[in-house]
Formats: sequence, structure tokens, C-alpha cells
Amino acid sequence: MTPVAGAEPPPRRRRRPLLPYGLLAPAAAVLALVLGYPLARLVVISVQDYGLRSLFTGTVGWAGLANYLAVLGSPDLGPVLARSIGFCAALMVGTLVIGLAVALLMGRLGRRMRAAVMFALIAAWAIPNVASTLVWQWLFQPVYGVLNWLLSRVGVLGDLTQHDWTTSAFSAFALVWLLVVWQSVPFVALTLHAGLTQIPRSYYEAAAIDGAGPVRVFATITLPFLRPVLGLVTILSVIWDFTVFNQIWILTQGGPSGQTTTLGIWTFTTAFSKNSFGQGGAIAVVSVLLLLAMTAVYVRRLVRSGETL
Amino acid sequence: MRIARNAAATLFCAVWLFPVYWMVNTAFKPYGDILSATPRFLPFPFTVANFADAIGKPGFLHDLGNSVLVTGAVVVVAIVVAFLAATALTRFRFPGRRGFLIAVLVVQMVPVPALVIPLFLSLKSVHLLDTFLGLGLTYVALVLPFTIWTLRGFLQGIPVELEEAAMVDGAGRGTVIRRILLPLVLPGIIATSVFAFITAWNDFLFAYVIMKDQSGYTLPVWLVSFSTSTGTDYGGLIAASTLFALPVVVFFALVQRRLVEGMTAGAVKG
Repeated sequence: MTPVAGAEPPPRRRRRPLLPYGLLAPAAAVLALVLGYPLARLVVISVQDYGLRSLFTGTVGWAGLANYLAVLGSPDLGPVLARSIGFCAALMVGTLVIGLAVALLMGRLGRRMRAAVMFALIAAWAIPNVASTLVWQWLFQPVYGVLNWLLSRVGVLGDLTQHDWTTSAFSAFALVWLLVVWQSVPFVALTLHAGLTQIPRSYYEAAAIDGAGPVRVFATITLPFLRPVLGLVTILSVIWDFTVFNQIWILTQGGPSGQTTTLGIWTFTTAFSKNSFGQGGAIAVVSVLLLLAMTAVYVRRLVRSGETL
Repeated sequence: MRIARNAAATLFCAVWLFPVYWMVNTAFKPYGDILSATPRFLPFPFTVANFADAIGKPGFLHDLGNSVLVTGAVVVVAIVVAFLAATALTRFRFPGRRGFLIAVLVVQMVPVPALVIPLFLSLKSVHLLDTFLGLGLTYVALVLPFTIWTLRGFLQGIPVELEEAAMVDGAGRGTVIRRILLPLVLPGIIATSVFAFITAWNDFLFAYVIMKDQSGYTLPVWLVSFSTSTGTDYGGLIAASTLFALPVVVFFALVQRRLVEGMTAGAVKG
């Protein structure tokens, strides 16, 4: 589809070879200064002795690998890593399974029912992150939270009316998990639904004539067609779920006693509460590398497909 | 089967809409009904006192103004910058084009919280901490990869012959962009501005770190600081959250059809 691909470019495009660079310049400048430079600086900070004193005096000493050694030698590292990866996986699986189920369901609903599901998705998506986190706090509030009351009524878990979900690590994570899945399903479901509507109907008709069952239809038609979109939402889910911050910070601040501290929270508290920007930087670099490792296959495929961009 | 599907859809709607319903329900309830051990499922008797309470709270209107200012500026700047870049990427072939595209893709992979520390220190060294310029630039950079990518997809769908025909007829490049490209790419611009709007309007982390002075608070920061300092005024807090969510809900409702169209267009390209 690239209009100017292939053939010799028309001569008038040669006359002003600088124009495309001019058009690109503002975007390139902002990206380089506000994303590129800080990323490079992050790496530099991680080998510096950047603390509260440097913040005021402006003089910074080199720390070599001391920050990394401190992070890698910290007794917190293991639990934080396990928590971050486990939580990310739990969020990702929850979001993708529910999102795919809803997307498949939407394709088989009547017009009105589909509009209702679409409305529910858009509503949950549109409520800003911070607002829904505060509403969540209120839903599960000890004594007055309506969901504690409802759960107590159902009675399976006993009387929960006084229960504070943030006092144990497991239930605090459950609380955050429910919130993040609730927030992220809309994007995944709508994108997958959009992908599903692109599959030509004739394939399904042919499959029906051949007498293929629903499982076979899903495996041989739906899944292969959906793969690029599925890849996209999976990778975005990994990135977002691995870096969830607001919800944990507002609901638990990483507590009780650090038991819901993930890499993002650890980075933040190390830098801004303990004023150790160097160590915080080292944790951030470790998380970027970890995320890169998790998404490497996808990034490689993207860069390779860049040949035809 | 049909009954089972409709039942599943109804259950999904009920679960997904419940928090929204409970937010609105709480916001309209009188104080005594909010803090009652047996929840009331309908906001009767009905009151708007919580909204008056929220609006009357110190800082609310001021911080709302900050949010509107920053978000508005970010949407406009991001769309203009991304549109120029997308035009360059789809209408010209030049050395470095592919490199730029790959850079845009890879930058999108960077986890946002990792940028907080170096951005904080960089903005501090150029004296842009506590300024709307610093915060706005941060948001523009955060949304640019996505907006460039999306607008590029839309521009690719517009046949270049339309522009060439106009240029043969003597139109300048500026006229072509204004009169032909812009109207055709409008759905794409709407879809991308939704994204820019939501990112800037909803951000808590960067606003929290960059705007240390209370006069620079945006609404998310106000909401959170309000919830921890006064603690228990859930009526006011939930009413404020509702007001905060309202512009986004309205915006989404207005562009809903375009948004889903835009996602469908994006989905084909994977």
C-alpha cells in the first residue's frame, strides 16, 4: 500500500529532499529528548552514587557496579521478582482468557445483547484508572463495602463484613488482580472482537459444509486468522501487567510489610522514599532487561518485519 | 444455546457494570445512607450534596483547571506532531525512514515506570520540575509512538493519487494537506486524540512525581491526596471521582463508533 514504493520516485519529490526530515523533526526531537535521553540517563544513574546529597549539590560520584551488587544481593530481590512475574502472569492469563471469551461471545450475540456488552466494556474502559481504584477501595471497604456485604450474604467465605482485604498479601493481590483485570478486559475484548470481524464469513460457511465441529473451526480458521491481533494484545498485556503501578500504590502502597511490593513499587520506593536514585535506577534497568527478555521474540519479529515497512 | 449465550452476556454486563453503578449510586446518596452497614441499592432519597461537597473542597476546581489545561495542550500538540511525522513516513521515501519506524516500535516497549527516575532528574536539571511544560512534554512523548503509528495506518489507506491530482491542478502542498488529507484522515485523528486525551487525563504517576507543588496538582493527584488526608468522606470522594470520570465517559460515548472502527482498521494490520 505504500504509495511511493517500488517505482522511481517522481522528480518533484526529489526537489525538496529535506522536507520529510522537517516534518519528522518535532516528533524525533520530543522522542529523543523525553524518552531516548532519559533511558540513556537511566543506565548512567544506575552506575552512579546518586542520592539525596547529589540532588541538592549537583555533584555525583561514580558507584561502579555497587548499585547492582546491592540490588542483586538484597534479600528482597528474590521475593520481588517472583511476585512481579507471578502477578504479571496471573493478570495476563485472566485478562486474555476473559477477553477472548467475551470477544467470541460478542460475535454470537443478537444486536441488542452485543450493544449491551459493548456498553459495559466501554463504560469500564472509560472510567479513569485512579477513579476506578478509589471506587474499588470503596467497594471492598471494611464495614461499609458493598462487596464484603454481598460476599457475607452468599456466605461461602464466612462473615467478611469486617474484613480488610489489604492486610494479607494474598487477598491484597486478589483485590488488585480483580481491579486490573476489570480495567484491561475491555481493550483486549474489543481488539479481539475487531480482529474476529475481519475473518471472511465464507471460511466458516465452507467449514460448515464440510461438517467441521466448533473446536476444529476454532483451531483451523479462527485462531490462525486471529494470531497477529492475539500476539499484539498479549505483548501489550505483558508490558502493562508487568508495570502496574497506580493500582498497587493507591490500594496497598506495597504493603502489608512489603508483601505486595513488585519491581515497579520497589523502584519507586527505593528512589523516592529512600532517596537512592542510583539503586532505584539499577532496579529499573533490571526490570527493563527482564521485560525485553520476555518480549524479545516479538520485538525481533517486529524488527524483521521492518524490512517491509 | 441462545439462552446460555444471552445468560453469559447478561452476567458479564452485570459484573462489569456493577462498579460503575455503585459509583454513581454512592455519589447520589445522602451521607447517612453511604455509611450504613446494610447497603442501599438505590439512591433514594436522592441528593446532590456530595457533588456540591466535592466541588467546594479546596483545590478541586483549581486542579480540574490544571487537568483541562495540560490535557488540552497535550492532545493538540501530540496530534499535530504525529500528523506531520505520519505524513513524512507515508508520503516520502528517504534514508532513515525505516530506522525511525523501528525506533518508534521499540520505544513503545519501554516500561513507563522505569522512566520516572531519569525524567525526574532530567527535568530537575533543566528547571522544568513543577512546570506544566515539563509535565506536558512528558505526556506528549508518552503518546507519540502510538499516535504516529495509528495515524500512519490511516494515512496509508488514503490513495496518494488524490493528492497528485490536486497538485497537477496547481494546488500547493499546504493546500493539499489542509483540503484533502486532513478531512480524509479525520476518523484517525479522532481515534488517536482519544488515546492522547485518556493518557494525559488519567495519569497519576508522572503528575505525582513532577508536580510537587500543590498549585500544580492535576485531578488524579488531588483525588488520591484527598482520600488519604481526610480518609473517610467517601461521599465527596466518590462524587469527585464521578465528576472526574464524566468527561472521559462523554468523550468515549461521542466517538464510540469511530473508536471501534479505528480499532478494526488497526486490527487488520496487526
